[in-house]
Amino acid sequence: MTLEGVRTVAQQELRLRIRAGRWRWLLGLWFGVVLGFAVLLRLGLAALTGAEDDPQAGPPLFGGVMLFVLGLALLVVPSLTAQSVNGDRERGTLATLQVTLLTPADIALGKLAAAWGTALVFLGLTLPVVVWAMAEGGLPLVNVAVTLLIVALLLGVVCAVAEALSAVFARSITSALLAYLTVFALTVGTLIAFGLATALTTETAQQTYQVPRLDPETGTEIPGQYEEQTLTTQQSRPDRVWPLLTPNPFVILADAAPRLPAPTDASGRELPRPLDPLGELGDAVREARRAPFPSAAYVELPDRADPGPLWPYGLVFDLLLAGGAVLVTVRRLRTPTRRLPRGVRVA
Amino acid sequence: MDAPFEIAGGVQEQIQEGISAQGVRRHFGSVEAVRDIDLRAPSGQVTALVGPNGSGKTTLFLVLATLLVPDGGRISVGGHDPVSEPAAVRAVLGWSPDVFGVYDNLTVREYLEFFGAAYRLSVSERRGRADELLDAIHLEEFATSPVHVLSRGQKQRLGLARALVHRPRVLVLDEPAGGLDPRSRVDLRELLRAQADAGVAVLVSSHILSDLEEVADRVVFIEGGRTVGEHAVGALPRAGSRPWRIRSLDDVGLVRVLDSMGMEHSSPGPAGVEVAVGADEEAADLVAALVRAGVRVVSISPSGGDLEAAYLELTEDRR
Repeated sequence: MTLEGVRTVAQQELRLRIRAGRWRWLLGLWFGVVLGFAVLLRLGLAALTGAEDDPQAGPPLFGGVMLFVLGLALLVVPSLTAQSVNGDRERGTLATLQVTLLTPADIALGKLAAAWGTALVFLGLTLPVVVWAMAEGGLPLVNVAVTLLIVALLLGVVCAVAEALSAVFARSITSALLAYLTVFALTVGTLIAFGLATALTTETAQQTYQVPRLDPETGTEIPGQYEEQTLTTQQSRPDRVWPLLTPNPFVILADAAPRLPAPTDASGRELPRPLDPLGELGDAVREARRAPFPSAAYVELPDRADPGPLWPYGLVFDLLLAGGAVLVTVRRLRTPTRRLPRGVRVA
Repeated sequence: MDAPFEIAGGVQEQIQEGISAQGVRRHFGSVEAVRDIDLRAPSGQVTALVGPNGSGKTTLFLVLATLLVPDGGRISVGGHDPVSEPAAVRAVLGWSPDVFGVYDNLTVREYLEFFGAAYRLSVSERRGRADELLDAIHLEEFATSPVHVLSRGQKQRLGLARALVHRPRVLVLDEPAGGLDPRSRVDLRELLRAQADAGVAVLVSSHILSDLEEVADRVVFIEGGRTVGEHAVGALPRAGSRPWRIRSLDDVGLVRVLDSMGMEHSSPGPAGVEVAVGADEEAADLVAALVRAGVRVVSISPSGGDLEAAYLELTEDRR
């Protein structure tokens, strides 16, 4: 594999892409939809807080737009690579490429780079909205940078997985379907798996309370006398199955976004926290890691320490998935080959 | 092999530089596409691979082109094993399949330059090579046209140019004459001849036997996935009898005389009457007999060349 070889393939793919589709239309439509969503969201926020010029409208606007953009991109991006290898095979252009001095890795990575680059163009088109959100105030640059980076990586993961599917399956219709099912599995499937697995962890817990003894005749408390009561409760243990949630792109995105610092006014007085969809969603999913409280009554609640992030696990999982996908693609492009997929002509 | 073939000159060296295949086998599922193919294509010569549809030509070419692993057999292309050293083979091999796709949104020149890049030519080399090749295949006026406006024959020529981009020492062409007009077929013959004269080992399959006979130095016949003959074109085994075509001014008279001589013949058509004749001597006797009988013969000639006759002989039992 050489950089030159990867570049040759990537340039070729981009050139074909640009000439093939109605890109101006598609990109314009994308920008229009994202902008429309942002405008509606901003109007909604203004109605919610009752203030047109909320000094902290940045975080909710940005968070809402990024979650929306991630969702929309997950619908668009699989189509960029879901037919890239088997489509070339069907058109009869793959074999002539495989007999050149380009290596399988050149072809796999070049195609991936072109698709990912295209996905990043879509992401780049949301930058005007991001700048607008920053201008609204209350949004640190580091939050913007981290969030965009995470979205970019996640889109790359989807490109890589869809490309591998197109290399494994002979029919482009099959690989396209499976690419969308993969996105579905990562987004909705992880939630379903987590929910069902949590239900399976349900266990019976006995909790013992000390309650004041009551006078059986008057029904009033007898001072200084206590009796023990044992309650049997059902409790589920999401802290045992939380890893199921981590590959979810939305979980990773929300949890990875840095939490906003407590805002202060000029005199250093703390102001109410702004709405922060990313941070709040992140905090919510972290709760899945928290073990239940030990049974007790009339005791101080233990310090509610941060149970720890989920996103590093999820991101590593997804990146490994992408790495594996690239390896599969390279293997499938390697020639001479021993076996052919059913019904496929090499050339 | 029934007819061992001698190659003049430094035999080993020429084969070393070209293609040699021994006992190649390859199956797909339960279908044995290639059962036992022996073949040599020395450098500096044009070797024709001739066989009926489904005889294993394309499968063999895929093996030679480093795309398929054979089940067995020893193969060398340009001195390298396509299975264990595919990169070394690719550097010296030009391959054009019988059917291939083109990138519809590229121009003809961009297409060639892209493959130049894929073969790691520098930018200036790519340009120069594209110019040369466009000239060689007579597509200069299409240089800036999109590939999809080309006709089938023009695409076939473009595929040939693509195979030549990196100046290969071995050329493997599957049905390069498919869809070509007569002028282009003559050009193709000249191009193949020039490549061979420049020392390239050319292996070409085609169904247009008259073309092959004009350009090929050697011919390898395969049938049912096996090599059934390997010959120099000049030394093709002569068939027992072959069709000759007789044209006369009076077909009715001709047929009557042939009938009276007890010779099998076809019914008269615009091209004349076909008669099965053995050796050249027999043909000469026939001419003399016809003239004596007063038939006004205009022409008499073998229909189809030696290659066609040999091919038809080989595939006789299929009918």
